[in-house]
Amino acid sequence: MTLLRATGLTKRFAARGPLGVKAEFTAVDRVSFDVGPGETLAVVGESGSGKSTTARMIAKLMDPTEGSLEFDGEDVTRAKGAALARFRAGVQVVFQDPFSSLNPRHTVERILTAPLVYQGIAPNGSRRAHAKELMERVGLNPDHSLRYPAQFSGGQAQRIGIARALAVNPKLVICDEAVSALDVSVQAQVIELLRRLQRESGFSFVFIAHDLAVVRQIAHRVAVMSKGRIVELGDTAQVFGDPRDEYTRTLLAAVPRINPEWDRRRRERVQA
Amino acid sequence: MSDLLVVEDLTVTFPTARGPVDVVRSVSFTLGRDETLGIVGESGSGKSMTSLAVMGLLPKGARASGSVRLDGVELLGRPDRELRRLRGDRMSMIFQDPLSSLNPYYTVGLQIEEVYRAHRGGSGKDARKVAIAALQQVGLPDPERRVDYYPHQFSGGQRQRVMIAMALVCSPELLIADEPTTALDVTVQAQILGLLAGLRKDSGMGLVFITHDLAVISSIATRVLVMRQGEQVEYATAEQVFAEPRHDYTRMLLDSIPRIDDPLDEGVTA
Amino acid sequence: MARYLAGRAAGVVVILLLVCLFTFVIFFTLSPDPAVMICGKTCTPERIHQIRDALGLNEPFLTQFFSFLIGIFAGRDYGEGANLVHCAAPCLGYSFQTNQSVWDMVVERLPVSATVAIGAAVLWLLVGIAAGLVSAVKEGTWWDRAAMGLALGGSSVPNYVLALALQYVLVVQLQVLPFPQAVAFGDDPVVWFQSYLMPWVVLAAGYACLYARLTRANVIDTLAENFMRTARAKGLSPVLTMRRHALRPALTPIATIFGMDFAALLGGALITETVFGLNGVGKMAADSIAKNDQPVIMAVTLLAAFFVVVGNVVVDLVYTALDPRVRITAR
Repeated sequence: MTLLRATGLTKRFAARGPLGVKAEFTAVDRVSFDVGPGETLAVVGESGSGKSTTARMIAKLMDPTEGSLEFDGEDVTRAKGAALARFRAGVQVVFQDPFSSLNPRHTVERILTAPLVYQGIAPNGSRRAHAKELMERVGLNPDHSLRYPAQFSGGQAQRIGIARALAVNPKLVICDEAVSALDVSVQAQVIELLRRLQRESGFSFVFIAHDLAVVRQIAHRVAVMSKGRIVELGDTAQVFGDPRDEYTRTLLAAVPRINPEWDRRRRERVQA
Repeated sequence: MSDLLVVEDLTVTFPTARGPVDVVRSVSFTLGRDETLGIVGESGSGKSMTSLAVMGLLPKGARASGSVRLDGVELLGRPDRELRRLRGDRMSMIFQDPLSSLNPYYTVGLQIEEVYRAHRGGSGKDARKVAIAALQQVGLPDPERRVDYYPHQFSGGQRQRVMIAMALVCSPELLIADEPTTALDVTVQAQILGLLAGLRKDSGMGLVFITHDLAVISSIATRVLVMRQGEQVEYATAEQVFAEPRHDYTRMLLDSIPRIDDPLDEGVTA
Repeated sequence: MARYLAGRAAGVVVILLLVCLFTFVIFFTLSPDPAVMICGKTCTPERIHQIRDALGLNEPFLTQFFSFLIGIFAGRDYGEGANLVHCAAPCLGYSFQTNQSVWDMVVERLPVSATVAIGAAVLWLLVGIAAGLVSAVKEGTWWDRAAMGLALGGSSVPNYVLALALQYVLVVQLQVLPFPQAVAFGDDPVVWFQSYLMPWVVLAAGYACLYARLTRANVIDTLAENFMRTARAKGLSPVLTMRRHALRPALTPIATIFGMDFAALLGGALITETVFGLNGVGKMAADSIAKNDQPVIMAVTLLAAFFVVVGNVVVDLVYTALDPRVRITAR
């Protein structure tokens, strides 16, 4: 069973010189993967690896130059009109910077009910009740539904972003560096929230990130990207425990770690 | 021999519409020669303000009180004219975003040379030689040619190398690095951390390394200062902080960081 | 670089041709018949036909257009037989009103407009940038507020109001300046200077206000840049920090805006020249429009377009020289 299938996705950008001389740059090069229902696929890579362009293509915020995209058994590569609307109802995105992706002039209630309005879906009960229910699900105080984004902290604002994504009951949520901008203590809570929501609602995640440690905590499978290509794709345990690709090994070795000896001693003390 | 840097009871106050606010409260630490102190904290912890106060680079309106002594000499309250002679010469600083920290209008050579000439004088020719040597020292390939490049012609990691070359051109005794690897890719981060540790060891200078990343601190610092909302939470050797943290906040931080070597279910639990 | 320049030059020619064509179409279709206007009230149809013939107005549109173009590059002949007049290149035709060669008129008046533009530009750059700089450095002080208040007020005073007010006060009431006269610099430098002083001030005032605000905003933005903090961390003197690190980034965008403003002014300062009775291109434009003198209108339109389009290219080249980040793509 496959929810989302990307086949040979390619994105080339044309850079125009002063005399119209064309120079082409391949940002994403024949990328293929699939995501099953309830599964979390992480796409990791360094800057310039093409992971964000890949995210934009599977969210249909950008058209691929080549390749195809299937969602829920339907080819959506060139979807328009009603087909695109169905896709949008099924796929939601959570962005990196919660404040710039939430309208500062709208209340949380309005932000959370807007997706329903766009999709033409009637909420269960009143809008206010719907917004409050969503806020409760993401661990926000529902009494704050008439506040504005600026009145929340970074972690809370990201929870609003997550709640907005959940408003239409999506089958797939794409998280584009959704926890990168958060402080570690807040980050840990948001990761836990994402895992709980997935357990409760059974949607799939495509988790775009550069932080491998975060990915290890949340992904079932991992795709490692470098220079526009997927160099390794496998189960999380295999990619982290027994990386096959040279680049993956370099990447994993470069991640800074707390001195393991110190860390072991601390844990022993905690358990004692 | 006295300690290189002694900070005692440092408080930084900002005037706001609702009255003065302390962004740093009573922070004290010492840094020996040949030592790396890590200052760690989340956003709003005051870790950057602490370092700016040491350098005398606080934003307009901010006031610092307490004591900051470099090599036994009090820095707080000295006129900028005198601090200027120390900055770039005996104490230097590098920042988080190397691209915006370099002036896009001038070659990196000129930007390195001007530090040398401001403190050591000398001819343009000498300064250029020094700049090329500095670029060589930070491991930039082909420094004779790259000295005439502009900042945008380098990659992120190379730009941070240029910043380091610029900071070290006068062989300072103290280097403050404020989140120097946060904007970099993880493989580049590893290279820059290695470079900084190597240069520090070779020159015997003191390094203050500021970051939000505990794992990075663990790999570079001998002593650690944990800050939270302007206050000093814990100050001890790195080993003590990581193996036997005494403060709840430190423990919470250590519990929060996702671990790359941990499988899914032993990871974060809330 | 050579290819880039060739490309830009080709672009300039194409745009100027389009401006030509566009202006021609407007006159061909919209304006009253110049032959009727020249002929006056007591006029026979034969006489009108004769005049149209002499002016070349009986030819089809495209023939007229190409004759005009050829005239610019190779010269052209008007009329035939004994009435034949050769108009040497660059030929812009003859004024319907005075029968003067339009090219000669332009050559005669352009120096006046250039003098007005250059003098005003020097004035507004000096005053505007200096005021903006001081305001930025003293941000929030009484000086800053006063200067910016004045600048805001100043840029909302119309040109002609300021011109008439100045004339009234300085010439009529106080009599410290003579009424502007057409004097060449070589003949009497003092009167020349006195004559141009008011036009310069009037023209520069609005721009100076604008440039003061632009400079202030740019300098304040630049002072907040991370590289300014680096400059301080390096222990550079405040003078060097300001001169080298702040001014160039802050003033580069102003250089490009200045290029466009100045180029537009070379095409004539219509109001200022008219108010002060200066015989520049601007006044020529005003007069020719009032009298529907088509060849002259064509010429001033083309001239203004020429300066703006060429100014654009010059600005791009200057910007490339000033900002190293752009240099790479221009190669």
